[in-house]
Amino acid sequence: MKQTLSILLLLVVASALVFAGGQGEESGAMEQGGDQMVAAMATDVGGLGDKSFNDGAYQGLQMGEDLGFEARVVESNQQTDYIPNLTGLAEDGADIVFAVGFLMEQAVKEAAQMNPDTFFGGIDIGGDPEIPNFQGILYREEQSGFLAGVLAGHMTAQYSDASPKLNADPIVGVVLGMFIPPVERYEVGFIQGVKYANPDVQVLSVTAGDFTDQARGREAAVAMIEQGADIIFHAAGLTGLGAIQAARENGVLAIGVDVDQNNVAPDTVITSAVKKIPESVYVVLESVANGTFEGGTHTYGLAEDATGIAPYHSFDDVIPQEVKDAVDAAREAVLSGEIQIAQTRADIQDLLD
Amino acid sequence: MSSTHEHTEPGRLPSILTIASAVLGAAGLVIWLGASMSRGETYYFWGIWLIVAALAVYLWRYRLLNGGEALRELLRSSARKMAVPVMGVVTAIVLGGILMLATGYNPIEAYGALFFGGLVRNWHISILNAAPLIFTALSVAFAFKAGLFNIGAEGQYYMGAMAAAWLSIHFTLPGIISLPLIFIFAGLFGAMWTIIPALLKVRTGAHEVITTMMLAHTARYLSPVFIRANGGDPATSTHPYVTWEILPNNFLPRFQQFLPQANYRVHTGILIAIVVALLIHYILYYTSWGFEIRAVGENKDAARAQGISVGKNIFRALLIAGFLAGLAGFNQVNGLDHRLFENLQAGYGWNGISVALLAGGNPIGVVFTGLLWGVLDAGGQFMARTTQTPSAIVEIVKGTILFLVVARYIYTAIGNWRRKRQRHREADAANAVKEGA
Amino acid sequence: MVDYDFIVNLLSAMIRNATPIALAAIGAVVCERSGVVNIAMEGIMTVGAFVAAIVAGATGNPWIGLLAAIFFGGLFSLIHAFATVSLHLDHVVSGAVLNVLALGITSYLMIMIVGHPGTTNPVPVGLGDYRWAIPVLSSIPVLGPMFFNQTPIVYFSFILIGVFTWFLSKTKLGLHVRASGEHPLALETIGVSVYKMRYFGVLVSGLVGGMAGAYLSIESNVSFTEGMTGGRGFIAMAAMISGGWHPIGAFIAALFFGLADALQVRFQVFEIARVPEEFFIILPYVLTVVAVAGLVRRSRPPKADGVDFMIERSED
Repeated sequence: MKQTLSILLLLVVASALVFAGGQGEESGAMEQGGDQMVAAMATDVGGLGDKSFNDGAYQGLQMGEDLGFEARVVESNQQTDYIPNLTGLAEDGADIVFAVGFLMEQAVKEAAQMNPDTFFGGIDIGGDPEIPNFQGILYREEQSGFLAGVLAGHMTAQYSDASPKLNADPIVGVVLGMFIPPVERYEVGFIQGVKYANPDVQVLSVTAGDFTDQARGREAAVAMIEQGADIIFHAAGLTGLGAIQAARENGVLAIGVDVDQNNVAPDTVITSAVKKIPESVYVVLESVANGTFEGGTHTYGLAEDATGIAPYHSFDDVIPQEVKDAVDAAREAVLSGEIQIAQTRADIQDLLD
Repeated sequence: MSSTHEHTEPGRLPSILTIASAVLGAAGLVIWLGASMSRGETYYFWGIWLIVAALAVYLWRYRLLNGGEALRELLRSSARKMAVPVMGVVTAIVLGGILMLATGYNPIEAYGALFFGGLVRNWHISILNAAPLIFTALSVAFAFKAGLFNIGAEGQYYMGAMAAAWLSIHFTLPGIISLPLIFIFAGLFGAMWTIIPALLKVRTGAHEVITTMMLAHTARYLSPVFIRANGGDPATSTHPYVTWEILPNNFLPRFQQFLPQANYRVHTGILIAIVVALLIHYILYYTSWGFEIRAVGENKDAARAQGISVGKNIFRALLIAGFLAGLAGFNQVNGLDHRLFENLQAGYGWNGISVALLAGGNPIGVVFTGLLWGVLDAGGQFMARTTQTPSAIVEIVKGTILFLVVARYIYTAIGNWRRKRQRHREADAANAVKEGA
Repeated sequence: MVDYDFIVNLLSAMIRNATPIALAAIGAVVCERSGVVNIAMEGIMTVGAFVAAIVAGATGNPWIGLLAAIFFGGLFSLIHAFATVSLHLDHVVSGAVLNVLALGITSYLMIMIVGHPGTTNPVPVGLGDYRWAIPVLSSIPVLGPMFFNQTPIVYFSFILIGVFTWFLSKTKLGLHVRASGEHPLALETIGVSVYKMRYFGVLVSGLVGGMAGAYLSIESNVSFTEGMTGGRGFIAMAAMISGGWHPIGAFIAALFFGLADALQVRFQVFEIARVPEEFFIILPYVLTVVAVAGLVRRSRPPKADGVDFMIERSED
């Protein structure tokens, strides 16, 4: 009891002391901003360095510096941090605050309602018509996956002579990180693309269960390569780096995700299924600068040039013209609405069986 | 707390003072914990002053019953006991500051933001962070008392969260009935996750570190399966990676319901955590169960010689530990999130180990170390946001605090050295007196 | 589908999965046989993995990276030795602290050195590029490709298992290490310093743990990722315990876990059942519990494991 009492006393005294110092600083923290426009973002628990949506959004903010924005970022450690980070950035004078990652959906909507004078954006988050200062930004990852799948489906079967890294088996593989919405859309799109190119191609799939454990991604890819998979697509964040490494070591091809990952292994990554988060963030920043910001959901896809596949780089000479044409034709077909791409596994049950 | 000898004629004053102190303290605690500084309300300080007042009243009562000398002795011994934690925290902060200086950050600015953010501006976040940590740390601490290492509290936490989410989605009873039920079931599900480790430990001697940890990983991967099975609103972009929102009758009451200006997110889970901590303290130190568990933890052979069943107590201790960790899940689902998310990476179970160790396994100490961790986490975020100092520094400071506070030997060694010097000085003085005479 | 190639591939994957766990586990075995409980393997591996990637990236030479990982792993573990042996800190506390510190230090240094959190740049050459098939031996069916067509650290792990088994049972120093974990007072009375033996034991776990980390970052892969150790340090502890605090036992336990993990990935590839993938992912963990329940005999830690040892030396 005595000990408890003493610790309590200590805490109380410490709190009181800190308050004495704290009061003066409140104004300092509140009065930043001024004329300088500030674009801020709060990452989800994945944090910067995920080579995916968090990094992409930050890159977009940095691009916004030519619009006169100052970029600020704060990384969330746990779920309880989301709301204070978002509202805190708003109170510190940010003109627009981005929430990154679908886990922040509830948090960003609450923050937007509490700070009606600040604009909010949400990457991978749907908008809400009742919150005019919040713009949700979704991507059609399934389109990127689809085009990557069309490429893979052709290359692994009819055109497997094009590269020594391809074998005769019509098999490709997918490594997933954890089963979350954007990952599912990538996978589902990829499977449809492969089957669209060639219904006889088999798609293997392994979920690694982690977004940071490279060794798991590597083993997942190796297990599929052993079964004859010669193109490995990954939607697994940093875990996927291990999958690319496995492809490189075993002399097969890989398809990157989110950003152009050719630089990870230039002799292995044939292309990447991308979503251009930086560009779409820049579009939002422009609308803030021009005063044309609108709420609701903005879905970015092929039509906005926000999804698709990355350049082929050194594989430009390897990939036969027919395959490139087929990919372009598929892109046109998606754009014209001729091909409808499903977004969930439940919608493509027939392809999975 | 019992008085040893009557000093002055106390009459009924001491009992009145006891009640006054308890009332003031409880009210102050509720107000302090429920306070929010984010819009300039100052409940926080009212709470603190009330607690200070309660302490003053308590000390007055102590003086009335035991006299001034005893009071001074109490204060002195408290100061001595506080010395180690204070020195540890201060030294860790200084070391962290040196690291910041060496790497080009301004430590004064950063620490100013850290404590302003954690203790004042985002105090409510500190509270929200602390509550689940207290539950998981209690779980680890309780197992420690029985000589067991419940390294898998994370898994029991997940199980509790799943049970709480499922029941809270389906129970339509009024909250006053359903909340206690959900509370108990969340705990029981947590305990369920320690039944196998407990059985194996008792029957085959399988080490609980292996079994609880393996089951922790298992629970972590089962939670997405559970979430997918429990839908979520198809209209949201998170479908089906977040469960349905739980029914409003199963929300834990929030401070705002009786403190109108409190931050709207702060729920009463922290109060439950404190009550549970007191209860665990009571069980451990004032019941025969607790005595037996501690006896087993201290020395199995001696306990057996006293006729205490080692197996039964290990079983009991692990189950209670699982129950406590499961409550953390209840706290998060019914108090904070009102739904269960996939990909929770908070790691309350793992962090609970540090919190329990820092408190030396003392259930009441856990409340304070949990709060300290909560403050450092919330303040670290505020610091990172306002001063752009990497919040990783907070992890380093945390590790150093843990190290310095728990490494009592350092202080024992310093104490021995000082006492020795003291003895020399006294001897010198005595010699001087002798020579003078 | 189950043919010769499948078996060989499965067993090779088992070895790859088991190597980091086995290395960390035998390090922990030596540490605990000397009487110091070590739950810090996760942190030591994190440090080793980080240092290996940074140094190998900066010098372009993965061998220097490996040496640096071993060195810094050892250095980091000395904190544990200092805390537990010299400062008499509780062993579990110190280990938990090291795990927290390793995370904090690496993510802080990521920002300082690499400039961003998350992952380092790929190293130009990884140890995985030094795969070496031992002539003759590697052509033995099954065992050849499994054991004798591997990458450097895998071979090191085989060698170290042998070395430490021999060391603990046959050498005088090994005897002293074991005595320090079983009967420290007896050891002290014959004039051998328990402190020194325990420092030695912890140091070994650091050196070997650093190597285990390097395996993850520069042999199995080519870059460091925050969180890449993925709990393997703790699984190594489990392997050490179910292996009965013996290097070979720990190795077998690590192999078992590696096999289960290799199997679950292949189950996913073959889609042996239409159930959520998570049910496959948990398989190694569940199987470990089953194995511990059914197969492993009651194992006993060293008698003075985790027991503080303090000698009162008169100083006046």
